[in-house]
Amino acid sequence: MDFFGNMITGFSVTLQPLNLTFCFLGVFIGTLIGVLPGIGPVGTMAILLPVTYGIPPTTAIIMLAGIYYGAQYGGSTTSILVNIPGEAASVITTLDGYQMALQGRAGPALGIAAFGSFIAGTIGVIGLQLLAPPLVALALRFGPPEYFTLMLLGFVILTYLAQKSMAKALLMAGVGILLGSIGLDMITGLPRFTFGTPELLDGVGIAPLAMGLFGISEILLNVEMKVKQEILTTKVKGIMPSRQDWAESIWPILRGSVAGFFLGILPGGGAVLASFVSYAVEKRLSKSPEKFGKGAIAGVAAPESANNSAAQGAFIPLLTLGIPANVVMAILLGALMIHNIIPGPMMVKEHPDLFWGVIASMYVGNFMLLVLNLPLIGLWVQLLRVPYAILFPLILFICLVGCYVINNSVVDMLLMLFFGVAGYLMRKFQYEPAPLVLAYVLSPMLENALRQSLILSGGSFGIFVTRPISAGCLLMAAVVLISTLLPMIRKKREKILAEAEEEI
Amino acid sequence: MKADRLSGFCWLALGIASIYGSIGLGVGSMQEPGSGFMACLAGGFICLMALVILGQSFLRGVGFQAPLLALWEGVNWRKPLTIGLLILCYILALETIGFLIGSFVLMAVLMKAVEGLSWKNSLLIPALTLAGAYGLFNILLKVNLPKGIFGI
Repeated sequence: MDFFGNMITGFSVTLQPLNLTFCFLGVFIGTLIGVLPGIGPVGTMAILLPVTYGIPPTTAIIMLAGIYYGAQYGGSTTSILVNIPGEAASVITTLDGYQMALQGRAGPALGIAAFGSFIAGTIGVIGLQLLAPPLVALALRFGPPEYFTLMLLGFVILTYLAQKSMAKALLMAGVGILLGSIGLDMITGLPRFTFGTPELLDGVGIAPLAMGLFGISEILLNVEMKVKQEILTTKVKGIMPSRQDWAESIWPILRGSVAGFFLGILPGGGAVLASFVSYAVEKRLSKSPEKFGKGAIAGVAAPESANNSAAQGAFIPLLTLGIPANVVMAILLGALMIHNIIPGPMMVKEHPDLFWGVIASMYVGNFMLLVLNLPLIGLWVQLLRVPYAILFPLILFICLVGCYVINNSVVDMLLMLFFGVAGYLMRKFQYEPAPLVLAYVLSPMLENALRQSLILSGGSFGIFVTRPISAGCLLMAAVVLISTLLPMIRKKREKILAEAEEEI
Repeated sequence: MKADRLSGFCWLALGIASIYGSIGLGVGSMQEPGSGFMACLAGGFICLMALVILGQSFLRGVGFQAPLLALWEGVNWRKPLTIGLLILCYILALETIGFLIGSFVLMAVLMKAVEGLSWKNSLLIPALTLAGAYGLFNILLKVNLPKGIFGI
């Protein structure tokens, strides 16, 4: 009964004209940036954060969520047609998608990617709707020690999955925590690391930080290389997959959806990991694994389904515990906080319209995406022809003006430039910015949880091991950390990462 | 110097600086953590990880061992440098010359001088973009963008 009651609440919010319009805008922009190489959902969401100031919070989150899962749809188009992944989660789709296009089967590849994404997206939303209420009930039993250890576990898993060095990823998390401590101390009221700059009393804003690290640094990296733009010659015809295509794809779609959903929930997981794992699983399960990489339709269906359901699954930790599972969710958390909404177990009671409205909007958004992706493929292909020489000054301008309008502050723009240059150098030196942003967003929560826990326990760290949930989280974190020190597991991890890099 | 060694020393310096700064803020005690408590922990953690990176590089020869100059080999490093400086000039001059003139000049210079587009594109695209941005921010959202000494 609750299930249907919640759905009615959600749809009554989503189907309001304003929310529908922004849902459409979100999925449209998401598809657009998914198609265009050089700008991802993180950068776009960061750039559009200021726009959300002037609209109601539910509408803002519906739009930002739409950008995220819309980008997963859009990313497949370029992977299949021009062998350039528009989005990191679509990298693996290039392997079989482009081969299918070369064999004159671009249509069915795009078709199965769109249908698979739709099915997976819907399964993901149903999972989200079913799993969120029990998790909320569990989260209500969480105190500061449980939150602290859960966040620690998230950091450890995130850094374990880091592409390059785990030490570097952990270091980035430390820098993020340090950045998050800038500004007034909420307990004592003391300014910290503000260097006499009044603009820093409220801390470093999420928008200058994320726009700098993901928007500006991406531009600086792209302009120093010659961006190769292939003129598209592939003809797209017969988008509907045949009965044979469906027979080969339906199980990969379903398996990819389920695996993607659970990998999306995992802190530090997400769409990229889900697409790689589901591809590897299908290749292993296939009766003809030799076809993978040569145009197997299952090699398109599985990762495209997995990345979409992962995008939905990633909302669970944010909406139920208030803890972002990845950097995109960290930006969504920032957007909610801008509107004075603290995500977590109380959100479902205090803001049911937002909670269920966002979930219902995903059903509507997924349907919009299906409608957008199939007939508008020609339009997306045309967009690929816009030269980067025109695109990047426009993206740069949007970043600059977007950053300024938040506080009408030149200091924010200078901060964005600083983080842009820092992000450029970090990537040059092989440091990933994602753990930094995630840690920065979690830093105030982490600090409060630690300080409250220590006050509660009279200064004893024993509080983290005597409570079952926090002890469990600590144990899992320790297992993950220790496992990386064991030579056999370390070599296996390095081998998997090397293979993934080779395949890219 | 090798990449990981240079970055390791930089992070070590940052970690030490943040510990020093947090001691000034007051670390407090375990029973009553002070304002600098978390920053001190973070600084210590940064130092530890920087030492791990340095240790890996010096003792085991693993990590990112490319020489510093190799990071900019085969790429046009002048472009990001030029763009970075142009953005800095734009930010510093924004409130003096105004949003419209400043943004137009920035985009036109990027398109014409940096990317070598035609005059037509270099002037038309920024003009159209600014018209759209002006409509969105000034007319629709009523945001006050700097007008500068020219009042536009």
